[in-house]
Amino acid sequence: MSDKYKLKKWQDLPPGGVITEGGNAADYETGTWRTWRPVWQKENCVHCLTCWVFCPEGAFLLQDGRTAGGKDRKEIKEIDYFHCKGCGLCVRECPVNKQGKEPALQFIREET
Amino acid sequence: MAEAMRQINPDVVAAFPITPSTQVIEDFATFVADGKVKTELITVESEHSAMSACIGASAAGGRVMTATSANGLALMWEMLYIAASMRQPILMTVVNRALSAPINIHCDHGDSMGARDAGWIQIYAENNQEAYDNMVMAPVIAEHRDVRLPVMVCLDGFIISHSIETMELEEDQAVRDFIGPYRGLHSLLDTDRPVTWGALDLHDYYIEHKRGQQAAIESAKSVIESVSDRFYRTFGRKYELFESYRIEDAERVMVAINSVAGEIKEVVDALRDAGEKVGLLKIRLFRPFPYAQIAAALRGAKVVTVLDRSTSMGAYGPLFGEIRTALYDAEPRPLVYNRTFGLGGRELFPDDIQELFAESRRYLQNGKVEKIFDFLNVRGD
Repeated sequence: MSDKYKLKKWQDLPPGGVITEGGNAADYETGTWRTWRPVWQKENCVHCLTCWVFCPEGAFLLQDGRTAGGKDRKEIKEIDYFHCKGCGLCVRECPVNKQGKEPALQFIREET
Repeated sequence: MAEAMRQINPDVVAAFPITPSTQVIEDFATFVADGKVKTELITVESEHSAMSACIGASAAGGRVMTATSANGLALMWEMLYIAASMRQPILMTVVNRALSAPINIHCDHGDSMGARDAGWIQIYAENNQEAYDNMVMAPVIAEHRDVRLPVMVCLDGFIISHSIETMELEEDQAVRDFIGPYRGLHSLLDTDRPVTWGALDLHDYYIEHKRGQQAAIESAKSVIESVSDRFYRTFGRKYELFESYRIEDAERVMVAINSVAGEIKEVVDALRDAGEKVGLLKIRLFRPFPYAQIAAALRGAKVVTVLDRSTSMGAYGPLFGEIRTALYDAEPRPLVYNRTFGLGGRELFPDDIQELFAESRRYLQNGKVEKIFDFLNVRGD
């Protein structure tokens, strides 16, 4: 873990609990809240990005890719487990999962 | 107090009228109407709104003031804590009045004593001169970079607030020079450096923020000493964290807050003339509480009578708790006991104080306290 995520001492905090930098909610590890973990099955994924649309944490990271026909598109790269809270929305909304065959997103119990 | 507010010329005043503090804002509203100040006066619909508006205006980067009493202060409760925890240097006159029920408009200290844990600095005044002087010092204390906390300047309702007294007002410019311009910290209107106020704070940071707040209010003691010293050098009136009145060699000392101190001084003088070693320690700063300094000042005292003008129902008085805590490590430890007086404006006469000193003489002779806690001047006892 980088220093960025190291908890600060009281002397190092600005008075009044004020937050002086923008967008630092990203520094907060919500991954610790997770009891169930979505696991991406790359071989079954069609890269429709429904999971990316529904994810409340923006935990689906994308990369540039190409369709079978050679067109540019965005593809799923991986799941960011630092932020994924394990809500399961992606697992429920995945259209591949809804076909009832091989799932593109599995939902497995976190080991404690 | 209104004159001090006029001289301070704050950016925003948000207030709701309540007896006996009404006159402060009424007079100040006249100054606003007459163009003697540049203040934006916000006449809100409640004291909760008054303090909320003060917090918003202060976070926006303005110097902010208000005034209230009793139930008005109680209605601010939630926002008092938020003002202090958000470290907004808001200045508030508290004209001390009894809390309902039964409804009563006269003086006791139940209102501000109840707010003692809210994180505000509390400064008390015996008379109008002290109240004015404390208010002139208040912005310098509140806005000091090591402090950044709100300040209550407290004075007795009616007994002081509605008394005509001779007092010295300083020149407007001298007061403004003493206070200096306001410098905000993390102003909401500073769009070049935007910040978030009032974010969520859980197990991982809340206690660190509280620890920092405690350090800030602790550092207020030395700041108040240095500001009082500069006030003395500028205007010639001397203030310390508390007033020691003839206690250097005193065996029996009374400890009290606000206007009753004037009466006690008269009685102390009379008893001193009769050869009795008595004195008074008058509280000025109640939050933060100067434990060590008070313990040092009371070294040598054998009997300490603590007068509380408020009750903490089911417990001893709030001042007594602090004084006894301050004296616990004293060697030898003096006898300390507590008397509650003056609730809802009940008078305490010089004869009553004479009687109290006669009681403390008896305790001194017998070497023990007969009654640790009692009400004074109440029918039925």
